[in-house]
Amino acid sequence: MRPRQPEPLPVLLRRSRIYVLPTATGLFFGLLLGTMGLGALNFNNNPALLLALLLAGAAQASLIAAHMQLSGLRLLAVSADPVAAGEDLRLKIALDTVDARIRRGLRVAAAGDALHTTLDSHGTTVELHLPTQRRGWLALPRLELGTVQPLGLARAWSYVWPNQSVLVYPAPEAQAPPLPAPAGGKGRPRPARAGDDVHHLRNYRAGDTPRSVAWKASARRDVLLVREYEQQLSGELVLDWQATHGLPHEQRIRRLARWVDDAEREGRRYGLRLPGQPVIAMGLGALQRHRCLRALALLPGEPAHG
Amino acid sequence: MAERTPSPPMQATARRHVLLATATCLMPLLLQLPPELGWGFGVAAVLVAAASWRRPLQAVFRILLGIGVLLAVVAVSPGIGRDTACALLAGMLALKPSETMTLRDGRSLVGFALFAPFATFLLDQGPLSLALALAAVLLALLALQCLARDEGEVRVADGPRWWSGSTGVLRLLALGLPLALAAFWLFPRLPSPLWGLPERALAKPGLSDNMTPGGFLDLMTDDSPAARVQFFGAEPRPQDMYWRGPVLWNFDGRAWTQAHWLQPAPAAPMRPAGPGWDYQLDLEPTESRQMIVLDLPTAVPANAHVSIDFSTWSDTPLNNVSRWRMRSAPPAAAEPDLHPMLRDRALRLPRGFNPRTLALGRQWRREAGRDATGVADARIADRALTWIRRDFAYTLKVPLAGRNEVDDFLFDRKQGYCEHFSSAFVVLMRASGVPARVVTGFAGGYRNPIGGYWLVLNSDAHAWAEVWLPRRGWVRVDPTAAVAPERVYDTLADRQPGRIGAFDGLVPMFNAGDWLRRGWNDFVLGFNAQRQQDLLKPFGLGKLKGQHLILLFALLAGLALAWMAWLIARGERERDPLLRAWHRLDARYRRLGRGRAQHEPAQAWAERVAADQPRAGEHLAILSRRFSDARYAPQPAELQGLLRDLGRHRP
Repeated sequence: MRPRQPEPLPVLLRRSRIYVLPTATGLFFGLLLGTMGLGALNFNNNPALLLALLLAGAAQASLIAAHMQLSGLRLLAVSADPVAAGEDLRLKIALDTVDARIRRGLRVAAAGDALHTTLDSHGTTVELHLPTQRRGWLALPRLELGTVQPLGLARAWSYVWPNQSVLVYPAPEAQAPPLPAPAGGKGRPRPARAGDDVHHLRNYRAGDTPRSVAWKASARRDVLLVREYEQQLSGELVLDWQATHGLPHEQRIRRLARWVDDAEREGRRYGLRLPGQPVIAMGLGALQRHRCLRALALLPGEPAHG
Repeated sequence: MAERTPSPPMQATARRHVLLATATCLMPLLLQLPPELGWGFGVAAVLVAAASWRRPLQAVFRILLGIGVLLAVVAVSPGIGRDTACALLAGMLALKPSETMTLRDGRSLVGFALFAPFATFLLDQGPLSLALALAAVLLALLALQCLARDEGEVRVADGPRWWSGSTGVLRLLALGLPLALAAFWLFPRLPSPLWGLPERALAKPGLSDNMTPGGFLDLMTDDSPAARVQFFGAEPRPQDMYWRGPVLWNFDGRAWTQAHWLQPAPAAPMRPAGPGWDYQLDLEPTESRQMIVLDLPTAVPANAHVSIDFSTWSDTPLNNVSRWRMRSAPPAAAEPDLHPMLRDRALRLPRGFNPRTLALGRQWRREAGRDATGVADARIADRALTWIRRDFAYTLKVPLAGRNEVDDFLFDRKQGYCEHFSSAFVVLMRASGVPARVVTGFAGGYRNPIGGYWLVLNSDAHAWAEVWLPRRGWVRVDPTAAVAPERVYDTLADRQPGRIGAFDGLVPMFNAGDWLRRGWNDFVLGFNAQRQQDLLKPFGLGKLKGQHLILLFALLAGLALAWMAWLIARGERERDPLLRAWHRLDARYRRLGRGRAQHEPAQAWAERVAADQPRAGEHLAILSRRFSDARYAPQPAELQGLLRDLGRHRP
């Protein structure tokens, strides 16, 4: 049974959803064995018949073995970190098996990308690259799990269609004007790099950019340290939808996305004000970036509010 | 799925596998070809494979090589026949590696290569061909698996690659075996072929339908079996063991040939002397319809017939090992009334050959006189035998035949072997007016103590004579046996099969080997539609009809398939005995719905079970503690005890 609609994970591959068909090589072999068998039967040539039957028996066993390579396989979860539209999404697919058999040469494919993996009951995670075009939720495509093992005579395959969507951020504008002036209008804050003094360093937290890691200090202390930039209230920035007035709708979103990235790069705290939504409060770091880009990604399409 | 992408190139390992498989497939076929072709193609295959290792040979070269192969085949074995086709196949296979680069090429090469062992079996079904073909099948599957692994980007890290590969292939073969055997014995066979087997262009060595000077020599040095015979009841004495083959009537001065127009005529009337012998004959394939039977046949199966000169013919060519149940008896009178036309045939001699023999025959006739009762004829035959016994000797070293071969033999050389003795005797008889003919076949046999059957070898080939006497009909006269009975009846110890000179240590091995080969012939090579119908007779069931066979086959095939699926699904066995015992314990709880969740540590699981089932859980907690300890800090001394306790524990 081919999934006609997305289904929740995990999915266990069972007999009913596995297809097995001979490959081109398999068909060629079938023809060959058929010719041999017919000739042998006609001439009552027993060694030739035995030879053909032995090969046919092994081929049949390989057909079942190919089926068994898939059955008992479990697709546990899929996930992907959001990327900007236009970039390849790295879809992580977690697989394991419910029995002790080792699956070799398992082919995992989706939307034009495919790779091979080998796994046992401890499971494995593979990463496929999915192309993205548009911001917003991307419904996951149907995944194909297949194998031609052990002899390449038969292909067994099965589809899994996770009912899951992954977020695609808007693509940042490539050529964008610099960040707008801070909301307070007190001029640009002075660069906040404050050297490697100990009291300006803090332990690494997930989400810190590699740029902010103080490598020398980290090497000295054998632990990852991050520069804590001086936080200046005066540097706070509100990225406002209205500041991009006059541009086409999608380009406004892309510019704001670019500004979010710029602010992150410069280490400035920022907020985001979008029409019809509560203002996203000031913040900095991976979470703040995600919050803002997610809001941008999920903005409705054509201009809803002027 | 079906889009045609360019097939990826083969890796070096896969390529080696494919070439090795092709070579092994080709080997048995090359051995069956004429030596010049076999060697030629073998060397060509190696050269081509080496030359095209890095890049395919250019198309011009390939076409030239192809033409070369064609010319070689035409030059060595002209004509269209089965063996010519097989030689062509071998030649093409030898060239195919020149353009084998991608995975798809590799697979098609392996596929085509598998035709080679198949073609071999059309030419020969001996044990060597079989062993090589089996090896070829193994290697071909191994190559396929290697190609599939390349496609699936499987890296085999543990152990040598060929070993881990061949266990997989052997497993597949073993899994397929029950299905293959069920199909072999139960799939309905064709009672008669839909189309005939093409003849060979070059004849196979064996008892031929004519006798030319020196023609027997090849056969008499060939120690391969011609037939195996099992007697039921009385066994004939060695001097009665004449296996009758072609009966030769026509002599052109050089060669003796059959009178083919006599073949359809029914057997001449014959009065047996005594009860005769009941036996089962397993004939090796000869590619002709001519059979051999014990002198003289009284009853043959329905698919064979005895012609007027008591030579026996099968309805279809003997392309495979075949089994015949027959009866024979020594004649008291065979064809006592000879038709004048046949009498004329049995007296005819070519003009202008062997004048001294003709003169001697006429002289003997004058001296013996003529009478209707045949006393004179018998006296002439006796006189010839007496002369031969006194003056002649047996040897295999004979110079090339001259124009008057019989004269040379009778008056000058006085040495020769069966073909000279029989030919000269019959010419002399005909010259003196006694109807006579040459009979070829085999004489004697070797009794294998293992299995208690008789083995007739090609080296037992023999030619003798028959003279026709009034009232007694055809009487067998063996002039060779008059000179060297030990050569004819194989009573010489050093001619025992399996014996090398004076060393007979290998004889038991030969006996056992031939007995095994007989069993193989019986169960595999000689199996046909007829035998298939009688398959269940030992179980007290009658003949199997077509639909019964199909039903039985479907039943067994279904069982075999189910067995295959079960074995494959069972999975690979856990190697660690501790883990195995632990998993079994887990399975016992799982049946009660209290199995360990995958994320659950052993101790946590035991606690959870203990909450529901205090008594069992308490013990389980101890067990899982011991299990964890054994996993983290193995104590070999305590392992056995733990395994036992794990095995004993019941929820």
